[in-house]
Amino acid sequence: MSAVLEIDGVNKSFGGIRVAHDVTLALSGGKVLGLIGPNGAGKTSLFNLVCGIVKPDSGTVRLNGQVLDGMKPYERARLGLSRTWQHIRLMSSLTVLDNLIVGARDYPGENLARVLFSVGSTNAAARRNAEKARDILARCGLEDTADKTLSDLPYGRQKLVGVARAMMNDASCLLLDEPMAGVEGQSYATMQKVVREAAAAGVAVGVVEHNVAFIRDLCDEGVFMFSGRILARGTVEGLISDPRLTELYFGT
Amino acid sequence: MFDLATIMQILWTSVATSSYYVLFALSFALALKVNKVFNFTQAAVMSVAFYTAYGCVQLLDWPAFIALPLALVAALVLSWFIEVFGFSILRERKVEMLFVFIFTFMVSQLTVYLISLAFGTWSHTIFQSMFWPVTLVGPIAISGWDIPALVVAFGSAAILFAFLRFSRWGQFMVAVSDNPDLAELYGIEKRKVYLLTILIAGALAAIGMFLYGMRAQVQPRTSLDLMLFATVATIIGGIGNLFGALIAAVGLAVIQNASILFISSEWQAFLVYAILFATIIFLPGGLRMPKFGTRFETKTREISLAEETPSAPPSTRAE
Amino acid sequence: MEYLYIVMISLGIYVILASSFNFVIGEAGLISIAHPAFFATGAYVSAIAALRYGVPIPLAMLLAVVVTFLVSVIISLPALRVSGDYLMIASIGFQLGLIELLKNLAITGGAGGLSGIPSFLVPQIGNGGYAAVVWACAIAVVLVLRYITRSDYGRAMSAMRDDELAFASLGRNPMWVKLWVIGLASAIAGFAGALYAHFFRFMEPDQFDVLQSAALLTMVVVGGMRTSLGPVVGAVLLQILPQAITFLNLPPSVLGPLQGILFTGLVLGFMFFRPRGIVRMDPVWKGALQDAPASGGTHVRGA
Repeated sequence: MSAVLEIDGVNKSFGGIRVAHDVTLALSGGKVLGLIGPNGAGKTSLFNLVCGIVKPDSGTVRLNGQVLDGMKPYERARLGLSRTWQHIRLMSSLTVLDNLIVGARDYPGENLARVLFSVGSTNAAARRNAEKARDILARCGLEDTADKTLSDLPYGRQKLVGVARAMMNDASCLLLDEPMAGVEGQSYATMQKVVREAAAAGVAVGVVEHNVAFIRDLCDEGVFMFSGRILARGTVEGLISDPRLTELYFGT
Repeated sequence: MFDLATIMQILWTSVATSSYYVLFALSFALALKVNKVFNFTQAAVMSVAFYTAYGCVQLLDWPAFIALPLALVAALVLSWFIEVFGFSILRERKVEMLFVFIFTFMVSQLTVYLISLAFGTWSHTIFQSMFWPVTLVGPIAISGWDIPALVVAFGSAAILFAFLRFSRWGQFMVAVSDNPDLAELYGIEKRKVYLLTILIAGALAAIGMFLYGMRAQVQPRTSLDLMLFATVATIIGGIGNLFGALIAAVGLAVIQNASILFISSEWQAFLVYAILFATIIFLPGGLRMPKFGTRFETKTREISLAEETPSAPPSTRAE
Repeated sequence: MEYLYIVMISLGIYVILASSFNFVIGEAGLISIAHPAFFATGAYVSAIAALRYGVPIPLAMLLAVVVTFLVSVIISLPALRVSGDYLMIASIGFQLGLIELLKNLAITGGAGGLSGIPSFLVPQIGNGGYAAVVWACAIAVVLVLRYITRSDYGRAMSAMRDDELAFASLGRNPMWVKLWVIGLASAIAGFAGALYAHFFRFMEPDQFDVLQSAALLTMVVVGGMRTSLGPVVGAVLLQILPQAITFLNLPPSVLGPLQGILFTGLVLGFMFFRPRGIVRMDPVWKGALQDAPASGGTHVRGA
């Protein structure tokens, strides 16, 4: 299968520290790629570079063949790039359902003129989005949370909501930042199921995760990052059994 | 008109007037750097410092060596009050930046009205006369106020930088400004650091106001304008960069004094707003100026930038 | 009776101002204090167009709305490109700077103010009729803003206020939302300015100074931020209180500061002791569609 997301020779340094050192990486549709590496290896920074939150010093990012360089985060998201956050970043004054709706791919309610003068079509879109949001919540086992707010939910379910919201975008590439940190029990199993289903539908998934078991169960492939470089790419099993990489991970 | 002597005179006057601008800018920049607030209550502290000094000297006829320390104490008490009964409560409630702003803005306004009520809206100076004996050094006229003011201002600045660099509590302040949560993990008491910062900022602002009030007239609103000047200097200097704010304050003083040659007097007051907008449009990140700081400070900031949300200046929201 | 009409007219104008200010600072969470400056922009543009250039008044008012919209967007754009903190500082600069400008320009009549502004509608329908017109406008503004905040646009505004970065990463354009919010609210303030200018027929720069920022903030915070009724309650309350003080027959040098102390003191009191205002704000956004029986809405949440 062809590459959905291509990262080509991306470099970035903050002052003296290089968080991305000539990173070249491709994510394919239908596959889950795990990013492994110690804290500070530049995994989250790579996500930020891809999403346009941080500008790279050099290099190119392409989504489905289209060059993303210079685009703002929202423009990239509209082209089918979706992400979650390590700290979830749900909107605290919206219900879970509204959190999802606001992430919908087609959201005419963003246009003030349409809200005021094209009431019928925006309301129709709003209803479609609400339906879709309920559907996604059901798939994530979150039906009962639709009218709750963030603070009503345990941490693990908040993380699930974060992933559910990222799926409202019909993205072709989904980047998950530590989806399992702090997630236990039922939510853990659901998370695995949801991510696998997304990949099965053809989405290219990238996962940053410290939970090795989760990575091993879920990812088709993994890359090992260390101080801004990609040191190795291979099966997850191969990466975590490599003694040199293990030493880098736990050493220093 | 543009002869060397005029230019030298303007440069000298600029440097002399920069004395209080430097103190106001350092006060504002320090609160922003460590406490992550745009501390508009600084205007209240400045007004209280000035009017206490004025009241003691002119209304009560007390000597300056009693009046000024007393006014400094008044400014510190107000700063303490604002931190303990204002900022710290808002911080505990984790309110949005919006409410912190409303608080600081309202405190500065409330002070203006309280002082207008107590002292009227007329202009005052700390001492009867604001004219100082002038000495001619070559073509340049140096007033008796200039040198002491410069010594006090840059002396205070030097003490501040030395304090931040070498003293234990100064290093705590730098650590908290970098990463308050990490600093807390290392056992630094954030509350005390925030209070200390506000007190130091209050002292700097008060000293600046004494210098200003000995040479120029003050109305209840004057401190607002002076504080806006400090805000502009802070932005130009680069948020979080105290030394940058100091340099920017000197630069602004030069621009303001030199503008006398080009701009008619009724537009002088307008200048600071023009500079403000020019800064926002052309220098949003501030000038890249050298920084006084430990290596550790810069390093940790870069790492935290790299790993977490990198959006520009300080805490737009507290998570 | 005539006095009552005049009070009603200024009350209606403050309802418009407070509601539109709440739209910016409350609903969208954009920190700006320049609302009185936009009020002044509208008032001066309409007055000058009608007085100095003989533009028909309805057209002058329309011009005021358009100019205020454009000015607000042009002022905010460079600041918003950087961050919300810069908008706050730019708004302070604009609020203070505009008053300075109005005091120095010849065309605005300088610090002495502008008098002899042609009046609008009053000769035909009297003060009572004008009061009715102002209140009709005020009610329309409140209802339209309420409609927007409860529409999909309001959901987007709430989301943006909560977390702008996450909002942008969902494919929403925060800049666009902010500019429209500021533009719309400022245009409304400009319209209120035009209504004001052609009724009172005299104005001076100091009327629009930063005391008005404090007054509007007080109306919004005390009345109840992020509610549609709160700013109305706040405006009424804070117009009546100072009016009551004027009956004490104090000299203006005492009266001015006293009103200021009242405003700022009230806001500080409310902030610490009743932060959600008289009309209590609901921490959870609710849309118009959700009022339908579908959801019971059992949100129990601390502020």
